[in-house]
Amino acid sequence: MPVTKVLTAGIGEADLRDIDVYRERGGYRQWERAVRELKPVDVLDLAEKSGLRGRGGAGFPTGKKWSFLPAEKPLRYLVCNCDEAEPGTFKDHMLIEEAPHLVLEGILLGSYGIACHHAFIYIRGEFKRGYEIFCAALDQARNAGYVGDNLFGSGFDLEVTVQRGAGAYICGEETGLLNSLEGKRGEPRLKPPFPAIEGLYGMPTLVNNVETLAYLVPILEKGAEWFASVGTERSKGYKIVSVSGHVQRPGNSEVALGTTVREIIDLAGGLRPGRNLMAVQPGGGSSACIFEEQLDLPYDYENMAKAGSMLGSGAFVVFDDSTDFVKAAHNLVRFFAHESCGQCTPCREGGHWLERVLERLVYGRGVSGDYEMLLRVSGGITGLNLCALGDSIEPFLKSVVLRFPEQFRARVLKAKETVPV
Amino acid sequence: MNVNLTIDGVPVSVPKGTWLVEAAKTVQQEIPVYCYHTKLGPAGLCRVCLVEIEGMPKLQIACNTPAAEGMVVRTRGARVEAGRAMILELLLVNHPLDCPICDKGGECDLQDYAMAYARGNSDVVDPKTRKPKAVDLGPTIVLDEERCVVCQRCVRFDDIIADERQLVVKDRGAHDIIATATGSPYRHNFTGNVTELCPVGALTSKTYRFKSRPWDLNRTQTSCTQCAVGCQQFADVRYGTLLRTMSVENDDAISDGWLCDRGRYNIGFYTSPDRLTQPLYRKGGSFVQIGWDDAFALWGKAITDAIAAKGTASVGAIGGGRLTNEEAYVLQYLFRKIGVANLDWRSGPQRQATPGAKGGALADIEQAQAIVIAGESIEERAPVLWLRVRKAALRGGARIVRVATPAEAVAALPAGATRVALVWDGIDLARGRAFADAFAGVAELSTYVASEQGNARGAEAMGMLPWSGPGYVAARARGRDAAGMFQGARDGSLAVLSMFGVNPVRNAADGAAVAQALGKVPFVVVSELFLTETADRATLVLPAKGAFEKTGTTMNLAGDLLPVNAAMQAPDGVLSDLEMLLGLAAQLDVDVPRAEELDATVIERAAHAPEDFGFGDARFASDVASVPESVPAKILSGGGTWQHDPTLATLQAEAPFSQPAGATA
Repeated sequence: MPVTKVLTAGIGEADLRDIDVYRERGGYRQWERAVRELKPVDVLDLAEKSGLRGRGGAGFPTGKKWSFLPAEKPLRYLVCNCDEAEPGTFKDHMLIEEAPHLVLEGILLGSYGIACHHAFIYIRGEFKRGYEIFCAALDQARNAGYVGDNLFGSGFDLEVTVQRGAGAYICGEETGLLNSLEGKRGEPRLKPPFPAIEGLYGMPTLVNNVETLAYLVPILEKGAEWFASVGTERSKGYKIVSVSGHVQRPGNSEVALGTTVREIIDLAGGLRPGRNLMAVQPGGGSSACIFEEQLDLPYDYENMAKAGSMLGSGAFVVFDDSTDFVKAAHNLVRFFAHESCGQCTPCREGGHWLERVLERLVYGRGVSGDYEMLLRVSGGITGLNLCALGDSIEPFLKSVVLRFPEQFRARVLKAKETVPV
Repeated sequence: MNVNLTIDGVPVSVPKGTWLVEAAKTVQQEIPVYCYHTKLGPAGLCRVCLVEIEGMPKLQIACNTPAAEGMVVRTRGARVEAGRAMILELLLVNHPLDCPICDKGGECDLQDYAMAYARGNSDVVDPKTRKPKAVDLGPTIVLDEERCVVCQRCVRFDDIIADERQLVVKDRGAHDIIATATGSPYRHNFTGNVTELCPVGALTSKTYRFKSRPWDLNRTQTSCTQCAVGCQQFADVRYGTLLRTMSVENDDAISDGWLCDRGRYNIGFYTSPDRLTQPLYRKGGSFVQIGWDDAFALWGKAITDAIAAKGTASVGAIGGGRLTNEEAYVLQYLFRKIGVANLDWRSGPQRQATPGAKGGALADIEQAQAIVIAGESIEERAPVLWLRVRKAALRGGARIVRVATPAEAVAALPAGATRVALVWDGIDLARGRAFADAFAGVAELSTYVASEQGNARGAEAMGMLPWSGPGYVAARARGRDAAGMFQGARDGSLAVLSMFGVNPVRNAADGAAVAQALGKVPFVVVSELFLTETADRATLVLPAKGAFEKTGTTMNLAGDLLPVNAAMQAPDGVLSDLEMLLGLAAQLDVDVPRAEELDATVIERAAHAPEDFGFGDARFASDVASVPESVPAKILSGGGTWQHDPTLATLQAEAPFSQPAGATA
């Protein structure tokens, strides 16, 4: 089995929340080396050469994102996005609870890479335990001299501020997060300006996912070439995949990018005996399903996109033949409708309308025209929204409506009442 | 720098950075918008302003896409129309479609765009989301949450224009509602603007709800005269009754497109049953109704007799701040023609309304680096001017300086400030002079007097001052000012006093003393809309027209000559002050300039900005030594007319309409 342990190394074996344990295993050595021996540009260079891409969902090349910060504006911020809320994703949850020092070291390295002196971590409100663990780790690190002023006598200052969310999926969207962090209503901002130019408190801001930043630690330790040697042509390195659904051993697995979809299912113990696979949602609630004929595709950014889906945050949900896809679609659309901030029309009204129609279908009260409406409205709102949330409603719904039309049509029982024109 | 692009095949050249929605207007292409507003900027929420741009895979929103060189934009076409139709279909999913009972019907952007762009039918079979209806948002506004399209124009107005931040969006997704952040009533001086910004029928004015249909309204553009800003406004009249006033969006020079609640809502008094509609003559301690012929004869005879018996010094006239320029001009012309020099507009504590040599334009305030406020709050005296001050502070970074002494004010200026706006209330001359002197060295100083009465500056320019005739030219004979006339009343030397739209018993620093003084004047004439405290002490009360019932010009605090246009007929038996003066002139055998002679040249010549004085000029000093120690804490909106509007009952305790403690209604 192609299982690897990079970020996940030691989890479940040692208490990595203890700074001494973490240090015994080499922790904070890269941080100290960076501050003592490297220039920020060296860290940026490593990030760029490693081919690391954002692990939060969009998969944007990390080094490139860093380079967007305007050089002439030295006051800038790094924000670590730990508002993990994509349905099916639970990797950051694990990292922050089990390896908080690794996450912190990643934040420190990223901050150094963009030469900022104040970093923030925005932790999902529901992760109260993770928040407490991370705060304790931050205290330990501060006492040990890893966070604060004049680090290692170099004159480099870095402060880290922890902020909890208040329970909104939309605050994982980077500009929604920034608004929330500023104490405003968690609504995505109109772009441009992009956060790299005008982000937190109007300053250039880099927002990176927990996992992305954490990978900086092994990249500094083992080199960009080591990371870039793993994976496929444009998808380098490793990824923690959160496997859930109809598998025997759901959980997080760290794999090299390019591992096949089938191998990932097998890593999770495969399907339950006697069940057949119907669909896999490979990249979180926002991604379209892939099907049986695509199981041998390498799991990487390009191949998932080519298959009409995406790798997203690595939330990997498996559906076997016991699945009621009408219920599954209703569940997911209800989620997006519930989490819509309501700012923009298509997401606010479209999501809610689709949810109500799907709810009727779930209870067998479909009317003729519902099937067509699902495709027409979910497709119609896509591309018109202010942020990506509204565009996330269509992919799963469309993929299962087209693949399993009989499940949806079977719920349409009566003829539609005449609607006055 | 301009960029060149094409919109629907038409070449367009606009400054770089112009939003496409504005660029399209230059070629008469209307792009539908809900959340975008010229004065509020883009928000990107409603998504209805979709356009197609060559080379871009997705439809773009025109409100937040800057025009760029070589851009090829299409505001029509199948893709654009499909996108817009989808947005409108979605906006109607939960909309109650209660157009037949909605005040906005006929001037609703949702109706209009639905007709223009939406599909004619609907796939919605599920019940609509229910939300609170007829929510009492505050003293002025009722909110229908179901009609709301969550464009957040109201929320953004409250934030970036009014600087109040009371309105917010609560809850989320399809359950979004508009509410005040704290749950307390929505109240400040500018709430009514959100009813105009609202593109649908969600926010409606209490004073206008269920009163009319827009197509039944006759619209007249005129100037608001309730304070000295002179905001342009539309008066909407239905079958002879004034139902509402609306702002003029492109009135950038004066109101910047906004109205205060006082100017917007204080209109119901025109139809009050308390209004005077016939001259009243005091006979044996009580009033009797008389005709206009008798009124003019009594008035003329009183003046003629007084001059014959005691000379012209025994006659005086007070008024002008609530008249039109034409009326003020004729008022002083007529009285000076018969030798009377006791003329003054200053019935209250204010001494000076013309800033003089360094008077600025309203728009100059936006360029100021500091705005110094000397004296009473301009929020109360000139609310819409205050909005411009806030704009300068919020957008231009100007500093608002409100301190007691000129020295402190100078110390509070931003370092190196070269552009300063100085606003004074015109009350304490020494204070005004001290502030003006302290800032005399500022390179670009613009000065303003925030007068209490709408046409105070016009009254001064037209010659309603004891020392000057029209155009601030020294009068041949210097008369007494208002305080001097009241002094004369007390010592028995004043025989006839004519007052026009003033209520010194109510507004002067010592109203009780004025009341006592008036009791000693044998013949007091008061022209008023209502039987005010002063009118109640008159010998002859003349029922006057209000500003929406007459035509002329007014001059705002910045010296702009603005039109006053009659929007409706006055009640039978009511005359304008000009008509009254013409009636008196006939009795006194004086030829006054006819309306057609009072054309722009007479008024404009008088209205020029004077160059030979500044704040606190000695000529504005009072004849009576005592300086008022206290002034009424709050001014009366429109001379107190609001007290006669029953629909404002709920508003009367609110800031813009409140009255000083202890005052009688």
